[in-house]
Amino acid sequence: MNCMHPAQRTAAAARGTAARTPAGARAVARAVLRAPLDRRSWAEAAYLTAGVPLTMAGFCTVLILGLTGAALCASLAGVVAGLALLTATTVAGRGLATVHRGLAAGLLGRPLPDGPLPAPAPYAPGRGLLGRVDARLRDGPGWRGACYVLLRLPVALASLYAVAFFWVTGFYYLTYPAWWGIAQAVTGPRQVPAPISNPLPAGGVRIASWSDALAIPVLGLVLLLAAPWAVRLVVLADRWLIRRLLTGRPLSERVRELRASRAQAVDDTAALLRRVERDLHDGAQARLVAVAMQLGLAREKLAGGGPDGDGGAADVTRARELVDAAHRGAKEALTELRDLARGIHPPALDHGLAEALATLAARSAVPATLTADVPVRPTPAIETIAYFCAAELLTNVAKHSGAGRAAVGVVADGTALRLSVTDDGAGGAVLRPGGGLAGLAQRVAVVDGTLAVSSPGGGPTVVTVDLPLHA
Amino acid sequence: MTGPRVVIAEDTAILREGLAQLLADRGFEVRATVGDGDALLAAVAEHRPDVTVVDVRMPPTFTDEGLRAAITVRREYPGTAVLMFSQYVETRYAARLLAGGAAGVGYLLKDRVADVAEFSSALARVAAGGTALDPEVISQMVGTSPRAASVSGLTRREREVLSMMAEGRSNAAIAATLVVSPGAVEKHVASIFAKLGLPPSESDNRRVLAVLHYLRSS
Repeated sequence: MNCMHPAQRTAAAARGTAARTPAGARAVARAVLRAPLDRRSWAEAAYLTAGVPLTMAGFCTVLILGLTGAALCASLAGVVAGLALLTATTVAGRGLATVHRGLAAGLLGRPLPDGPLPAPAPYAPGRGLLGRVDARLRDGPGWRGACYVLLRLPVALASLYAVAFFWVTGFYYLTYPAWWGIAQAVTGPRQVPAPISNPLPAGGVRIASWSDALAIPVLGLVLLLAAPWAVRLVVLADRWLIRRLLTGRPLSERVRELRASRAQAVDDTAALLRRVERDLHDGAQARLVAVAMQLGLAREKLAGGGPDGDGGAADVTRARELVDAAHRGAKEALTELRDLARGIHPPALDHGLAEALATLAARSAVPATLTADVPVRPTPAIETIAYFCAAELLTNVAKHSGAGRAAVGVVADGTALRLSVTDDGAGGAVLRPGGGLAGLAQRVAVVDGTLAVSSPGGGPTVVTVDLPLHA
Repeated sequence: MTGPRVVIAEDTAILREGLAQLLADRGFEVRATVGDGDALLAAVAEHRPDVTVVDVRMPPTFTDEGLRAAITVRREYPGTAVLMFSQYVETRYAARLLAGGAAGVGYLLKDRVADVAEFSSALARVAAGGTALDPEVISQMVGTSPRAASVSGLTRREREVLSMMAEGRSNAAIAATLVVSPGAVEKHVASIFAKLGLPPSESDNRRVLAVLHYLRSS
């Protein structure tokens, strides 16, 4: 036997380390010995195996569609058919990407240790047939999906190698004496009874005797010990491709999102200012004009002015009525101004989100409890957004849920803040485009936040808002 | 003797009622109070009032429907004067309103109702075919055209006099306000007309037209 597998060298190196740090080495040795029996190793092997036929089919589909489409487009005569085929390529790209992502998520569990697996932006159809074709042809995720399928061919070949050579051959070697014995019995001695599969590029193994045959299982054991790591190497490469092509968002998409959210923020601000102006104009300002008018009239009455006034008892009575009305109006104007000011910036927020939410919960129409754990103060913009989200969600609870109790929760760690509003109402709340919850979701998206709704029929409803700690 | 007949168009109920009460108290005959532009046109057609008090901003769009209704009233019912009544000074609105002539036109800030006597006399003046422009409107119109002042070379005092003329005040009233003799005011007025190339006139309306002429030439 003239082959020395890298894994053997690794094992030797591990033994070298063992001399220095026994505890660490024991952990390494345990990991190496356990790896072949580890559930993760089997899942990864299954993942690679399942990926092989999928990749073959996907590769052919995308290659044929894409190449034919491009060729037809280049010929000009078949440009319509060519565009249709290219459109089909992006559709297929998206579909295959979804299947691969699903496979990765299903078999690899947490497929990407450095974070969850975010799906790319959903497909946004244009208007009309041309608009739809245009949107499909510009569909970045679709093209990247097609690219992934094409680039995955080498990964699939490597998968085949890793799984077939290490796992299958490993098992075969491990049980080789049995096969050898069976072959001996059937074909007689001095033959090479059972073939040795040897995918290694150099050398060969010649089995001439029982002792040789008994040495083979050692090689099988080594292969099986190395198998999880070979498979993992291929999975790593695949993960790299997934990370680049199937998830995340390239800058252009991120820019598009940011542009949309900036427009949203600007619109929100304009709408807020307009609302404040309208409220002032129709509310406090109008009341104060009325107050000024009543006081002006009262002054005239008291001075005996006016066309038929004489400053007599009737005028004084009338003046008193006017002053009373003005007094009422002034108080109403004050209330309106206070509400308006609170609508712009709740003063309680100056003392932190927890205190502001406590005030909010105390004022809620549906009795609400508050659980707050915010050791680090978020930036003011985040606090404000969280506050108004909570306010609107509590208003929703009071208006729509029919709930008897509500709970507001807010927790923060070093980077993120999670606000949740729960009620025991009827449930059935949905994130409908154009609805109030969707409006909230849009607003939190401005600061890269997300909003999730869980509201089964019959309740309870939980709306969760995740925000970064710093806008 | 009954006072001028009035129709009030104002969407805020508290102001609408207060204004009706105030004007009734001051001897005006309030024929109708309405809340939007279309209702105003209907009420004017029905009652043919001497004057209407019109809020600029009313439903449904809350922008300038009051102004548009007022311009329609001025065009279709020459016998009905219009007093625009607004919480803001918008010089472009004033210019649009005055484009059809300054007679029987007023533009006052809502704040002015606090001075009941002055407000009702301004309304009476407009009802009688005169003019009443809010000092704020004038100062903005004059103030926003600095180029005009420098071109026509008006002195500061002359611009003051011009502003008061635009409010619809008489020479005597201007003299009293500035604490100068009526003769001094007359000299300023003559000088203004000369610098603007306009013949002198005794009519308040023509004086306002002179102001508008001046503003438009800027």
